[in-house]
Amino acid sequence: MKEQKDVLKTPHMAVDIAGVRFKNPVLTASGTFGYGLEFANLMDLHSIGGIVVKGLSMVPIKGNPPPRVYETTSGMLNAIGWQNIGAAEFVAKKLPALRNYDTNVIVNIVGFELNDYLEVTRFLNDCPGIKALELNISCPNVKKGGFHFNKNPKDTYTITAETKKASRNLPLWVKLSPNVTDIREFAKACEDAGADAISVINTFVGMAIDVDKRRPRLRFMTGGLSGPAIKPIALRMVWEACQTVKIPVIGVGGIAGTGDALEFLIAGARAVQVGTANFYHPDVSQRIALGLQEYCRSHRIDDIKEIIGSLRAYD
Amino acid sequence: MLDKKVKIKEIRDLGARNFLLTVNAPEQARLVRPGQFVMMKCVEEVDENPLLRRPFTIFDIHRNARSGKPAGLELLIKDVGYGTRKLVQACPGQMLNCLGPQGRGFQISSEMRNRTAMAFLVAGGVGIAPLYLLAQALIAQNVKPILFYGGAAVADLVLRECFEKLGIETFYTTEDGSFGERGLVTQPLAHYLKTVSRKDVRVYACGPWGMMKAVHALSLQANIPCEVSLEARMGCALGACLGCVIRSKDHSGEDQYLRVCQDGPVMNSRLIDWDTVPL
Repeated sequence: MKEQKDVLKTPHMAVDIAGVRFKNPVLTASGTFGYGLEFANLMDLHSIGGIVVKGLSMVPIKGNPPPRVYETTSGMLNAIGWQNIGAAEFVAKKLPALRNYDTNVIVNIVGFELNDYLEVTRFLNDCPGIKALELNISCPNVKKGGFHFNKNPKDTYTITAETKKASRNLPLWVKLSPNVTDIREFAKACEDAGADAISVINTFVGMAIDVDKRRPRLRFMTGGLSGPAIKPIALRMVWEACQTVKIPVIGVGGIAGTGDALEFLIAGARAVQVGTANFYHPDVSQRIALGLQEYCRSHRIDDIKEIIGSLRAYD
Repeated sequence: MLDKKVKIKEIRDLGARNFLLTVNAPEQARLVRPGQFVMMKCVEEVDENPLLRRPFTIFDIHRNARSGKPAGLELLIKDVGYGTRKLVQACPGQMLNCLGPQGRGFQISSEMRNRTAMAFLVAGGVGIAPLYLLAQALIAQNVKPILFYGGAAVADLVLRECFEKLGIETFYTTEDGSFGERGLVTQPLAHYLKTVSRKDVRVYACGPWGMMKAVHALSLQANIPCEVSLEARMGCALGACLGCVIRSKDHSGEDQYLRVCQDGPVMNSRLIDWDTVPL
């Protein structure tokens, strides 16, 4: 009888990131889930730990000319170029509706220069309903700014430290680019600069060509590669980051199922973000949250935290 | 809008790489308005390739033979690459992911709801896909549709018998002269647009970008409102990824990017910046 009870016990799924409680470690990645509300009819937004909304700037951005997306083997290229409605409109029109859902809202912030980041940070700081900011210095699809801060660790340190000063009330996450030689240097720079967590990783710079027209598939020429194709590299980088820093690492890159999410957690990620898979299975994040719970139950794990960083390396 | 797993009822090979796919989807069939689309891909147990679903406008509502109630969707699919090939090579009984119906469909203005109203439907090849439901809706509202249907050769003029069954006037063109008038579909259209000067006339077009651009120019010249059904590579069809945009320019010159999946796929042709479309 006692044994049966154990089996039926609901495992603890909550995790803590910089003092913010997430009901489970499954979030949706910025740029792949709009402002969240687009998916409200297709899944239960309450069921996931958090939503990282589309990157916001202080002033609305029009974005890049199309074509902006192209599917490649097990992945997709995008060069959206930060099209967004602006922070003020988000707070006025989207945030009130998002607040009705029992899930954490994290805002990804973008900018061309340091001041742009500081301005939008200061603005969002005082908005109730936002649980953290995610500093986007890793988007490969804008001609200036953004990615510039992720080219050497010194610049990453500077922008992180400055933005952290401006984000008085909210934890600051930094989303890192994989387009670097050694992700560990950047992870360390973020930690040293006072970041509360890091999201590892953003997209890889890629390219595709239409051989009949001899034109690039994307008007921007290059784009960010995402989807299952990048998962093994993302996982390696998350593992490396986890070996290097003590702040929480949030794993992102090609997660499309429960097994993928588990790999990142075992490698040491405190939470994961589901990205491109949202496009082709709008309720996939909910299914992964449920899948993690089922995994814990079937492996007799009481608390998801037991899995995090539990990788058993060979001697 | 719903996300369902639906069963393939039939796949009909129409020739020239065109296929008519019929799926059982009663709940979704009830919601469809002319010009709307669905996102489709095969249900995969193991590897998912392609990843992304593909958008298709709905050709017709499949109805239950006995009750006449909406039972499924008919989609016209041209095999143009990996994603479409996988769909047309599927078998009856196989399951597909089906998201929709989605998007802004054709608008039939209240000015048109009378017996003198006319609608010019202009199709290039598989651009015929959204026009059949529209033709039925127009007839139901007492508007007279006239179809201008062009292709490279006669094999491209698929499903024209459906329109002929509706008893509507049709003009066919082929570039090789194998059927109808030799040349482009815009030739008979231009001729007809010159003969009308009424307020209750509309143009609805779907086809290659070059054709739609020309149809827009002709409509503008004739001062007749024109709606076009657009195609774009899409990520999500939910308005989230912002991948399927088209550049829009209003009369003040202010530009913005509109989402084909949400602000379209059917748009007023005057919203579009035709200088930047992918020709």
